[in-house]
Amino acid sequence: MPARDFGSGREAMTGADGSGLVIRGLSAGYGEQLVLRGVSAVASAGEVTGLIGPNGSGKTTLVRVASRGLKPRSGVVRVQGVDPYTVSSRRAARLVSVVPQEVVPAFSYSVLEMVLMGRAPHRSGWGWGSSEDWVQSRRAMAAAGVQHLADRPLAELSGGERQRVILAQALAQDAPVLLLDEPTTHLDLRHVVEILGLVRSLARHSGKTVLAIFHDLNLASAYCDRVYALAEGEVVTSGTPGQVITRDLVRDVFGIEADVAPAGLAGRPWVTVGPAIAAEDARGMARAHVVGGAGRGAAVMRGLAESGFAVSVGVLHAGDTDTAVAERLNLLRLTVPPFSDIDARTAGDCANLMEGASVLVVCDAPFGPGNVENLRLALQTASRGVRTLLLEQVPIEERDFTGGEATRLWRSLAERAAVLRSAEEIVSEAVSAIPSR
Amino acid sequence: MPATRRRLAIPVLAGILVGAVLVGVAFGAVWISPWTSLRLILWKLHLEGRPARVPLSTELILFQLRLPRVLLAALVGAALATAGAVFQALFRNPMADPAIIGVSSGAALGGIVVILLGAGGALDAMGVSGAAFVGALLTAFLVYRLARLGPSVQVATLLLAGIAVAAIISAAISLIMTFSGQDIRSIYFWLLGGLGARGWQAMAAVTPFVFVGMAVAMASASDLNLTALGEERAAQLGLEVERFKTLMLGTGSLLTAAAVSVSGLIGFVGLMTPHILRLVVGADHRRLLPASILGGASFMILADLAARTAIRPEEIPVGAVTAVLGGPFFLYLLRRERRAAGARA
Repeated sequence: MPARDFGSGREAMTGADGSGLVIRGLSAGYGEQLVLRGVSAVASAGEVTGLIGPNGSGKTTLVRVASRGLKPRSGVVRVQGVDPYTVSSRRAARLVSVVPQEVVPAFSYSVLEMVLMGRAPHRSGWGWGSSEDWVQSRRAMAAAGVQHLADRPLAELSGGERQRVILAQALAQDAPVLLLDEPTTHLDLRHVVEILGLVRSLARHSGKTVLAIFHDLNLASAYCDRVYALAEGEVVTSGTPGQVITRDLVRDVFGIEADVAPAGLAGRPWVTVGPAIAAEDARGMARAHVVGGAGRGAAVMRGLAESGFAVSVGVLHAGDTDTAVAERLNLLRLTVPPFSDIDARTAGDCANLMEGASVLVVCDAPFGPGNVENLRLALQTASRGVRTLLLEQVPIEERDFTGGEATRLWRSLAERAAVLRSAEEIVSEAVSAIPSR
Repeated sequence: MPATRRRLAIPVLAGILVGAVLVGVAFGAVWISPWTSLRLILWKLHLEGRPARVPLSTELILFQLRLPRVLLAALVGAALATAGAVFQALFRNPMADPAIIGVSSGAALGGIVVILLGAGGALDAMGVSGAAFVGALLTAFLVYRLARLGPSVQVATLLLAGIAVAAIISAAISLIMTFSGQDIRSIYFWLLGGLGARGWQAMAAVTPFVFVGMAVAMASASDLNLTALGEERAAQLGLEVERFKTLMLGTGSLLTAAAVSVSGLIGFVGLMTPHILRLVVGADHRRLLPASILGGASFMILADLAARTAIRPEEIPVGAVTAVLGGPFFLYLLRRERRAAGARA
């Protein structure tokens, strides 16, 4: 995937006042090792920007550089238009606050004491803090949902409670830019939703700039306005979650096969980590061809794919439920446009696919003039000796919309095939016919 | 209730200190009742008239012998306890103590060098303090550099580095003493530790150092809390970590050196005092430091009282008293630390 250019156009969106976080051509590392290589990224005020990428891709290093924790070798860092490395630590801490993965105090501080420490960059000298410090700390504790824990020692709290205390500490800091390094690692589902909802509303309603590292792609998808994908210290791609979180990205960057589909009313991508669909692994090149339609083939396709078959399907109409399933499973599929008949060329392709298959499965789809050709091709293939399995939960008479032709073809097919009553039986029959290597 | 306990802790500790001073001056060859002491002190402070029927000898014993000794003990205890609290926050480790990490030995070495070079063996208190300070500072930086691996100082590396450095310094001290001729006695007594017969002069010599050190530590209380979270987090919360570390190593060394220069090597006060008081007032240094100052002073007065009255007329070195109390406490801490580490693993 080519890295996209995040040039001046994007930067202009952060506003003339330079609000937000701008990183350009950034290289940074530890000792000899270079972790970030020429990273450019922008996190705008009022938005949640997500950082995704596998372990070691440089996400935490990027947060560290942006929070004045690691001086970059080269490149530009601007927080609210200020280079944090040219100002005092105190000034920088008023511009950017961080929620690290973990904070382990050497001594047992109470929750209130921890949160008040977040006011350190605003406090002058010593003493017990101004009323402003107390107001901000109380508000931060309420926002992070830890106000009832105020007098409890941090060490006695659960991992999730501790993480929310650190969030409250960072919120008490009251900086316009908030960096979060995997803010939800130790949280249960309710607190994940609450904390991320809080973070998003801080961006939306308080105009904060939020840059957060996510390991869960679905959380990144649900809560981010923009996403940067990092791999090996470089930005691979960026954009809206819909543009970035794709099947290709999951495969290329994380090295796994997954199903990525729009979910919910907002249609943001939802990643389902799927089965290993690489057929070669389990059953050599054994391929099963499935004739489906109207969702009748879905269970069979999935079952065969999970059992290690390479699966081809067709001929289907585009937009059919089975077509969508086949797309998600990334199966080889033959389709024709909706409501059209199967043309001669597609029929020829399908015949080739069927004859090359180790197993042919014909499911109990409704057959009409638009797809009855499939039954003719199947009968022809079965006659040539390819092992054929029929799924018949619904009798053929109830789904024959051709005026009898489909019924006649199905009956002939049944004479040359095994007729089974469920998808599970089909799959186990196919598996026993073609044993695993 | 912990909140009430914390609020009351400082006034209670202040009361204990006043009590410790009165008890400290009461015992000795001649008994001076606390009531008499109190009235004499108030008289000296021009708050009351000279109490009647108090013999001049009692007045002299109190003001020439007992009070300077007790107040010096208080100063030394306060200095060591503050130094301990500072080192513990800085090293992120509750086992840090000026003696354990070798800083006291460094101060002793510095002091000895000055005693030897000192004209005619006269104990110029200011010179000894200054040299002790330099020795303590160098040792503190050395041990810190040796013990630090990663984000914090591990107990094992801290103890090992401290032991190793202290052993090297002890060897140097032994070597110096071997070649020191007739000065060996004065060095030896100085090293043993003790608060006897130092008088007001010694007080005057170290008071400025101790008060400056305590003032800087108190002013840094909030920032000490930040360092306890780790250097990276402290920096994220706006602390200039490197500068602050240098300042605090200097402050801890100054306090240690001031204590060592008048009292020799006294261990465990800096370890125990902050540790116990943390259980009472919590870990917040804005409470812990004043509590440690008051608690360390009281503890030292009572330890010195025990040292000079336990087997009268002989006097035990006060360092031995603190070691008898502190050694088992240290072992207990080490055991608990190891058990906690085992539970985490």
